[in-house]
Amino acid sequence: MAFMRKQAVIEATDINTLPPDEVEKRITAGVKKYATNEANFAQADGNTPYLGQIIGMGIESSNLADITMSIERQFLTKLTTKIPVTDGSAEYKLAPGELGKLRILDGQDALAATPGLSVKMLMDLGHMPSSASYLDKVVSFAYIMACGDGWKMADALKKMTAKAEKLVGTERADAIANVKALAAQARDYDALLADAAKLSAAKQKTYLNDKASCDALDNELNVVLDKIKGHASGGDAAAIAKLRTEEAEVRTRLKMSAAKLRVSKDVAEAAGRRRPIEEQKVAEVRKALQEAVSAAQTLA
Amino acid sequence: MALTPEDLKNLRRQRLISRAVAVPLSFFVAATARLRFRYGLADAARLRTEIWAKLDAHDGPVIWAANHLTLIDSFLVYWAIFPMSRVLEDRLIPWSTPEYTNYYKLGGPFKAGFIRALLYCCRCVPFLRGGEDAASEAWRQKAYDKCVWLLRQGGSVFVYPEAGRSRSGWFEARRPKDFLGRMALDVPNAKILCVYLRADEQLATTVRPPEGSVFRVHCDLIEGARPGETNPREVSQRLFDRIAALQNEWWRDCPHPKNCAGNDAVDLKAPLLQENFSEDLSDADPEWLERHLTPRELAGLRAKSGADFFRTFWRVFAAKEACHKALARAGLTMPNGAFRELEVDLFRRKAVHVPTGLLLDLRFTDDDEDKLHCLAVLRGGFIGDETAEGDVVWDICEVPPGVSPGAFARERALEFIASCNDELGGPAALALSEDGGLPTVLWRGKPQDWSLTLSHSGRYAACAFMVS
Repeated sequence: MAFMRKQAVIEATDINTLPPDEVEKRITAGVKKYATNEANFAQADGNTPYLGQIIGMGIESSNLADITMSIERQFLTKLTTKIPVTDGSAEYKLAPGELGKLRILDGQDALAATPGLSVKMLMDLGHMPSSASYLDKVVSFAYIMACGDGWKMADALKKMTAKAEKLVGTERADAIANVKALAAQARDYDALLADAAKLSAAKQKTYLNDKASCDALDNELNVVLDKIKGHASGGDAAAIAKLRTEEAEVRTRLKMSAAKLRVSKDVAEAAGRRRPIEEQKVAEVRKALQEAVSAAQTLA
Repeated sequence: MALTPEDLKNLRRQRLISRAVAVPLSFFVAATARLRFRYGLADAARLRTEIWAKLDAHDGPVIWAANHLTLIDSFLVYWAIFPMSRVLEDRLIPWSTPEYTNYYKLGGPFKAGFIRALLYCCRCVPFLRGGEDAASEAWRQKAYDKCVWLLRQGGSVFVYPEAGRSRSGWFEARRPKDFLGRMALDVPNAKILCVYLRADEQLATTVRPPEGSVFRVHCDLIEGARPGETNPREVSQRLFDRIAALQNEWWRDCPHPKNCAGNDAVDLKAPLLQENFSEDLSDADPEWLERHLTPRELAGLRAKSGADFFRTFWRVFAAKEACHKALARAGLTMPNGAFRELEVDLFRRKAVHVPTGLLLDLRFTDDDEDKLHCLAVLRGGFIGDETAEGDVVWDICEVPPGVSPGAFARERALEFIASCNDELGGPAALALSEDGGLPTVLWRGKPQDWSLTLSHSGRYAACAFMVS
C-alpha cells in the first residue's frame, strides 16, 4: 500500500554521528511542511515552539504526531532491543542492540515542545550522548509554556488597545473597561514571571491536583482489589473475571495519571530553577507585557 | 410484589437496632469525616437552621434526593444535614439503598463483616442495579417496596435520582429517571429533600473526596407528588429541575468555571490531512494511527471501508480535540500528543477521559464532504440533539483569503457572540483574554463563564460558546 507520505524519501542517519546542533537543525527542517507560520519558521531556533502562531511555528495539533514521526524517520539509534517492562507485559522499553529505526514510545514526547526539547528528549532517553553545553541553550518546557502564555496575553492586550483607540462614545467606554481588565491581568502575570518562586508555587498547584487524581485512582484500585478479595471466597468466576478486567482498566488509568504527574512534577521543579537562557526569555516576554500595559494605560 | 411478614419483621428489627446505635454511629461518622479525612462544611450552621425549619414544619415522610459523585456521599449528606442535637429524631434519619456489589463484598471476611454490620446499623437496604434476569428484577422490586413501606410508616429514605455516580461530574436534568417520580406518587404525602453537596476540587467521580475537602451544600425541601400528577416522568422532571437549580446555585459560588465545552473544526480537503493515508483514503499508516487511537477506536475504524475510513478517523480526531478543550476549561490539561488518553465512541456520542473516567457528550454540527465540526460538553448544560436545542451555540465559516485564521477566528467569535444577544451592545463591548492559554470573553471588563472555544483548520474557522 502506498502512503502519500512515502513520496518524500528520507535517508536516516545514525544519531550518534551527529552533533546536537545538527540534530536540532534536521528536526526543525523535518517539520517545515507542517509550519503554517512561515515567518516564524524562517527565524526558528531550538527554542521556537512547534505550536502557536505568535512566536511558534504554527503547527496544528492534527500534525503533532507527525513531528514525532518525522524525528523517528530521520535518525537511527542503537536502542532497538525491545524488553518487556514486566514479565508477560505487552509494554516494552528499549535497550542497546543493532543500529536500527529510532522509536519514541507512547508519552515520551510529552515535553518535546520545541526542537531543542526534542533533542533533550533524545538525550534523556539515551539515543544520543548528553551535552551540557547544548542543554544550557535549551529553555525548559516549564518556561516555554509560561512564556507562551505571556506572549498570548501581551498580544491580546496590544490588539485590544489598538481596537479601542479607533472607537468613540459608549463603544469606547466598554472597550476601555476591557482594556483595563486585560492590563490588570497582564500586570499580574508580569509579577508572576518576575518571581521564579511564585511561578513555581503556581505550577506546584497543578502538580498537587495531579497528585490528588493519582491518589484517587489508588483508592479506586484498592476498592476493586477489595471486591476481588470479597468475591474470591464465593467462587463466582464470572464476577471475578469482570473485576479483573476492571482492575486492568484502573491500572491503565493509573499509569496514564502517573505519566501526567511526572510531567507536572518536572514543570513545577523546573519553574523554580531559572537559568540564564530562561532569564533571557522571561525578560523578553516581560518587556512585551510591560509595553502592552503601558500602551493600555496611556489609552485609559 | 408484597413484602412478607418476615421482611417486615426484619425491617422492624433493623430499625430498632439502628435507633439504639444512632448516637454513637453519628459520632463515628462526624469524627471520621473531621479527623480521618479532615473534611469541613462551609456555613453548616446556616444551612442546618434553614433546612430544619422546613423539616420541622413537615410531619410526613421525606425522600432525600442528592447528587452523586463519590462512594461515601450518603454519609457526607447525612453529616452535613443532621446536627448531633437531632440524632434522636428517628423518623428523619434516612434509610439508604447502597448498591450491593459496591459495598457488601469488600475485602476479606473480617473487613466485609465490619462493613456489612456498619451498613446494617446505618439503615441500608441493599439494592442491585445490574442484571436483567428475574432474580435481579425481584431483588430491585423488593428493595423498592421496602423503601415505600418505610416511607408510608412516616420514615425517610435516601435515593440518588441519577441511579449512579455522575460520570461527567454534572447533574443532568434532561435525563430524569422515573423511579423517583414513581416513589413520590406511591407515597403522596412525602416531601423531597433535594441536596446538592460537593467540594470545589471534586472534578470527577471518585471513591471519596480528596482529604481536606470543604463541602458547600445547597438544599431545599419541596413537594413530592402534586395533586393531579400521575405521570412519574413528569414528577421526576420537576424534582430533577429543582436539583439542577441547586446545582446552578452551587456553581455560582465556585471559583472554577461551570461551563466546560470544546469544539473542533476539520477541513477535510486540507492536503496535510491526507498525508498519512493511502491514495484512495481507505487505509492509513498503522504506526501513525496507533499514535492517535486506542485499540477499541482502532478496531472501530478498521470496520470502515473506502473513504469512510478517512472521514471516520477525522471524526474521532475532531471529537478528541473538542474534548481536550472542554477538559482544559475544567482545569484538566492533557500532555502534548496524549491522544490516547481520550477514547471516543461515535455511536454513543460519548468520549471518556481515561485517567479520570470523566465522560463527555459529543455532537457533530457539521459533517459534510468538506468539513467536520464537533462539539464536546463536559458540564454546564445540555449539548443538544435532533429533538432538543442545547445550551451550546456555534458558528463555522470560511476564512477570507490572506487573513490569519487564528486572528479571524477570534474576531469572528466576538462578532458572533454579540449577534446572539442584543443586550451585549455589539462586538466592541467584548474582548478576549488569554487565561491559562484558554480564550475567555470579557464583557465590559468582566470575564464571562461562557466557555468560548475556538478552532480553525484549512479554509474554516469555528467558535462555540455556552449560553446556560
